[in-house]
Amino acid sequence: MNPPRWANRLLQWLHPDETLEEVEGDLNELYTYWYERSGKTRATLRYVLNVVSVLPPFVRRRKRKEEYQPTPNLNSAMIRNYFKITFRTLVRNKLYTALNVAGLTFGISCFLLIGLYLFDELTFDQQHSQTNRIYRAIQHRKTPTEDLTMAASSYNVAEEARKQTGEIENSARIIRTGRSNITNPENKNTFQETTAFGSSGMLDIFDFTVLDGSIKSALNEPNSIVIVEELAQRLFGTTDVVGKTVDFEFGQNRLLRITAVLKNHPRNSSFNFNSMISEATLRADDDFAEMTSDWDSQNFLTFFLLKDNADPTIAARKITDLLNANVQWEPGTSASYSLQPLADMHLRSEGIVDRARNDNVEAMDEGALRYINIFAVVALFVLLIACINYMNLATARASNRAKEIGVRKANGAFKHHLIYQFLTESLLVTTVSFLLAVALTNVLLPAFNEFTHKELSLGIHTDYRIWLSSLLALVVTGLVSGSYPAFLLSGFSPLMLLKNLKTRNKGDSSLRKGLVVFQFTISIVMMIGTIVLFQQIRFANNKDLGFKKELLVVVDINSGDVRSGAETIKAEFGKIPAVKNAAVTSRVPGEWKTIPTVKISREGTTREPDVAYLIGADENFARTFDVQLVNGRNFTGMADSASVLLNETAAKLLGITEAAGQRIEIPSRSWNGGSYRPLNQAEEPFQARVIGIVKDFHFQSLREKIAPMVLAYQRNPVQSIDYFTARIGGSDIPATLAKMKNVITKIDPTDLFEYHFLDEQLARFYAEDQRRQTLLIWVALATIFIACLGLFGLATYAAEQRVKEIGVRKVLGASIFNLTALLSKDFLKLVLIANGIAFPLAWWATSQWLEEFAYHIQPAWWVFAVAGLLSVAIALATVSYQAIRAAQMNPVRSLRSE
Amino acid sequence: MFRTNLGEFEELVLLITAILDGEGYGVTISQALEEHTGRVAAFGTVHNTLIRLEEKGFVNSELGGATAERGGRRKRMFRVTALGSRALREVQQLREELWQMVPTQTLKLGGI
Repeated sequence: MNPPRWANRLLQWLHPDETLEEVEGDLNELYTYWYERSGKTRATLRYVLNVVSVLPPFVRRRKRKEEYQPTPNLNSAMIRNYFKITFRTLVRNKLYTALNVAGLTFGISCFLLIGLYLFDELTFDQQHSQTNRIYRAIQHRKTPTEDLTMAASSYNVAEEARKQTGEIENSARIIRTGRSNITNPENKNTFQETTAFGSSGMLDIFDFTVLDGSIKSALNEPNSIVIVEELAQRLFGTTDVVGKTVDFEFGQNRLLRITAVLKNHPRNSSFNFNSMISEATLRADDDFAEMTSDWDSQNFLTFFLLKDNADPTIAARKITDLLNANVQWEPGTSASYSLQPLADMHLRSEGIVDRARNDNVEAMDEGALRYINIFAVVALFVLLIACINYMNLATARASNRAKEIGVRKANGAFKHHLIYQFLTESLLVTTVSFLLAVALTNVLLPAFNEFTHKELSLGIHTDYRIWLSSLLALVVTGLVSGSYPAFLLSGFSPLMLLKNLKTRNKGDSSLRKGLVVFQFTISIVMMIGTIVLFQQIRFANNKDLGFKKELLVVVDINSGDVRSGAETIKAEFGKIPAVKNAAVTSRVPGEWKTIPTVKISREGTTREPDVAYLIGADENFARTFDVQLVNGRNFTGMADSASVLLNETAAKLLGITEAAGQRIEIPSRSWNGGSYRPLNQAEEPFQARVIGIVKDFHFQSLREKIAPMVLAYQRNPVQSIDYFTARIGGSDIPATLAKMKNVITKIDPTDLFEYHFLDEQLARFYAEDQRRQTLLIWVALATIFIACLGLFGLATYAAEQRVKEIGVRKVLGASIFNLTALLSKDFLKLVLIANGIAFPLAWWATSQWLEEFAYHIQPAWWVFAVAGLLSVAIALATVSYQAIRAAQMNPVRSLRSE
Repeated sequence: MFRTNLGEFEELVLLITAILDGEGYGVTISQALEEHTGRVAAFGTVHNTLIRLEEKGFVNSELGGATAERGGRRKRMFRVTALGSRALREVQQLREELWQMVPTQTLKLGGI
């Protein structure tokens, strides 16, 4: 005749302790009474209802006669006590404190540096106050042969969409015409600059900081130019230049009035023009009307400012409708627009061709979202490793504090008091480490900026979001590293603690082992990643490219005079003794200017034309670059203007094995990856004969497969010559360069003799990889270092714990080697397990990355062996120091006292 | 005049505690309440009321009298304090004075 057990349990669990006994008894008695009066069912029902009536929130709590008031955790005396105890503990264990602080400082520094870098990348182009409403016009174009997505529009799309679309408030356009000479007429300072023409909307939509002049109207008038302070300094030696004029060579010589001087663009801006001329300047030109009348041209990079709360997809649809209403599409061709938020421009432009630019204008700099993610993960891992160190050391050393915890508990400390105590400790340690890390970061920033090409800083002027997230990271780090020890240590029973002075806890030590394995797994993966990255870059820089890239000087052809005098210059170059060969070409492998592609087909075939790259070259090209002729013959001279050489890939594509004057046709070419257009007004194709086949050579980065390549003669209807390339002797290069400069200035005195070394240019393909490699090496070193600090701490602790055992063993005749092995064995096992986990992980990760390259290395087995051995060696060195020290100790000292 | 702050249910519980004269605890009070007034109150209500009365100083309590039928758990026995009996008397007196003031015919009309 007992009440239902579950209801009774509920009562015991929820009813206030003060009155539990009498209420439980009363209800029991009542149950019996009800049971006898009205049977089991009714009794049970009433019992349950009455139990509910004495559960919170219904029940009234009985006040104790003399209520015990526990000391609040957060009153000032307790807080002072927490700090005092923390301070004493930290000072007493100087070694562990130092290890913890050092580990956390390094971890947080890495985190801060990478965090600053990521923040900068993620806030690209967001310095404009209307960023959220600015969109870039992206055209998606479908033709029967190709699909294109490009950042380009016509004049009319930009202009009419603004007038006719309700969602659009304003628009801005840029035409990037390429490099032109700009001169200060007073002192004849001349510079060749990449300039752009911009509509007045540019200054309305974007917020460029102005140093001098009035910004809003600066691009309204024809013949106005806005320049950046850095260019103003170069031209005039001052930034106070509004109202002055500059000579500008574009089609004709123009006199432009400076209407505003802008501050240099911040590094996290996609805009890098250092001068912008008003679009109105072009309005007088004959071809401008022609250029602007075509709805379907792609000359302008266009930005739209949408109205508040306007929907970009609706606006884009309206722009598409507008375009379709004004263009007669050829069958199979269609185009639509989408609007890309300005904030996405830097990181989310993959697959969008930066089309509206001359082919001698560099495409806008883009970031790689993929690496942003990788680095974010890496930064978190480094921080996590540092946290793990703290956790490991704190829990490992818990038994040393057993007495303290026991006494505290016996004196009436509740669990939460101890939790506060330990959290205070970890928060204090993280705070100190954080402050040190901020200092360290500031020390490292100049070097870091140098190689990331950024202007990062960490000070009071830094964006509040950085500080906010750092603060968050600080608190989270403190809580994460402190919480496990706090909850673990506070949970022990005081009786056990005081009786045994030990906190043996099996699960706890296996967790510690797991964390060490985790730390080393990450370190080893990073180590392997770094080695593979390093090898791939070396492979890329040393691979036989099919031509010799060393000691090739590339000189830009920057003026009409130099271009028309090219033959003379080449001959003069040949007279310089140090110059072995000199050639002229339209493009040079490795140069940043885009190599154009052409449609090519053999005469008489009905097949769709193939696509090939085209470079104009002369008879010296093959000799100068050391490109091998497979069969046929080289160009011989002017008579070969209708001859071409093919590379092996192109020959294979066209089905030519032996060059024998096969006829080919090149009907159209494409600029900057845009649509293919006929070569000339008359739509006459370029007809040529294949006179030779050259061995494949890498004219693009090794990320790309070798593509079909047509080498046309220097005088060809596709592209004119743009570069001299000279192979020079290795001794006294400056003198050779000076002589070459002389040759050119004799032809054109204003020429600025722009030159590069080709191998350096080619290395630029992999500059980003190099940068990532450097960053990764440092982070890998930091993780290993931090992990070793932790290991060192654990080893020290293990040796301390087993000091008696070691003493006994030594007395019984164990050698130092035996003892060292004994102590190191446990840790080595962990590192070996970490290796086992890290290898497949690293294999997978590096293979993924290498896929990016068409030509790449295979991660060799020895890389893994090296990383594995290195990790073991480092761990061994760390652990054995402590082990040997413990083994050498005189056993009398450890065994004397018990 | 001393003002007694006593709710209607509190008054009933206090009266029953007085009737039981030291023998009152959760069970007997609940049973007496049901028996004499026909009201079936939840045990929690009685429990809370007793605690409240004790806080006001009208009853005091002590633990004792464990019996086997309640699993050896002790009872909390309630006894009315001097303050409690004075409060009861005052309530009664107040009621009587008020009764005196009610005109006879009102009672008749209301009663029929």
